[in-house]
Amino acid sequence: MADSRDDFIIAIRYALLKKGAKQKFSLIFLISLSILVLALDRLSVPYIISTRSVLNDFVYQVSVVSSQPKKFINYLGNSVKNHYGVIEKNKILGEEVNKLKREYYDSLFLKTENEILKKALSIASIKTNERDIVIPARVILDPESPYLKSLLINKGKNNGVIKGMAVFSDGYLIGRVIKSNFFSARVLLITDLNSKIPVIIQDTDVNGILVGEGKKTDLLLEYTPDEFSPEPNKIIFTSGKDGMLAAGMPVAETYLNKNNKVQIKSLANPRQALIVHVTNGQISR
Amino acid sequence: MKTLNTIKNFLIKNLIVLIFYFISFHSFDVAKQFPDLIIFSFSLHMIIIYFYILKFPDNLGTGHIFFGGVINDVVIGTPLGTSSLSFLVLSFFTAYIRNITLRSKMTSEWIAFIPALFFSNLVYFIVINNFSHLSFYYIELLRNTFFTFLFFPIFYYLFNNFEKKMLKGNA
Repeated sequence: MADSRDDFIIAIRYALLKKGAKQKFSLIFLISLSILVLALDRLSVPYIISTRSVLNDFVYQVSVVSSQPKKFINYLGNSVKNHYGVIEKNKILGEEVNKLKREYYDSLFLKTENEILKKALSIASIKTNERDIVIPARVILDPESPYLKSLLINKGKNNGVIKGMAVFSDGYLIGRVIKSNFFSARVLLITDLNSKIPVIIQDTDVNGILVGEGKKTDLLLEYTPDEFSPEPNKIIFTSGKDGMLAAGMPVAETYLNKNNKVQIKSLANPRQALIVHVTNGQISR
Repeated sequence: MKTLNTIKNFLIKNLIVLIFYFISFHSFDVAKQFPDLIIFSFSLHMIIIYFYILKFPDNLGTGHIFFGGVINDVVIGTPLGTSSLSFLVLSFFTAYIRNITLRSKMTSEWIAFIPALFFSNLVYFIVINNFSHLSFYYIELLRNTFFTFLFFPIFYYLFNNFEKKMLKGNA
């Protein structure tokens, strides 16, 4: 009994302390170092934060450079696919242009009518906040992880990007900045499980929290009244109740799925974002 | 010519270290390469660490494992040191298994991968829960772990054949 216990302890001690012929560090030293790094990261001491920012920037840049061959292969594949799909696409785009033209004329009429009605009611048109800043940025990495859905952009503190700013792609909200380094920043996507946005639903006065599902574009609506059931084809806007995101930004829409069940999907596809706009306010579409 | 040969030999000798760093910089995941195969996502890091610490400990240093983990944390966005600690715990269990194994067999090593993965993921889970405000689907972690375990034999034969060829080449 005592012998087997001794063997067990010897094996553990050997595994922890023994260094191989080419090993420079023992496992116990590296495990302690990992715990120390974790603790320092958790403490958020100022010089640790700046060290982490420098490390993040360095790793992101190396990651961007080393991912170029793969990006080039993807680009070639997409080019071939796009080339063969161009006729089909042209037909669809033609139909879309016609539809948009009709909608444009409709909206022009509605705009004129709205101005007349406003004048009649003596309501001043709301001006956008001139202090709002919009910073265009490029997505440098989209590290796919089973746990965190985020993007890395090439603008950081140096360009005025700070934590909490909203990020748009094609005029639609796709996420917000959760970490800003000197030359890069991490954007938490609205589809992530950790993303929670206060919203309001079109044609209703129902408020709720839009939560990511960790999937492609699917979202969930939580904290709505018990008796509320969403209708399809309704736009979901930010309510601005968190005091960080401006109110009235279109985020998602409801739709009927194959099983005739109402579901919610984001208006933009965050995974397709290449150029994004970071702002502390609204963005004109 | 001599310089080219030296570079070639260096690359071949350190190929696994380079692969390890490469996947750390890109947070290798099957999900990203083939979105339709998201269900089969697995951790190549864990397979490499387990195999090399078990069979060829001199080919993959623990220092590389530590730095690879730190890089992986930066890329993924988890607290710094989480992946390192998880990988090093896996290395520790693997080293322990290596020390107590008298006659190595692929099947027994495959089965021994279960407790090693369990403790490694347990550490990962504890750190994520206590050192960050991140939340994730536990089923994702379980699925990832299951497929890491399931795909181990394939990589076992791949890496084993590669190392055997390397040894033959050196002899």
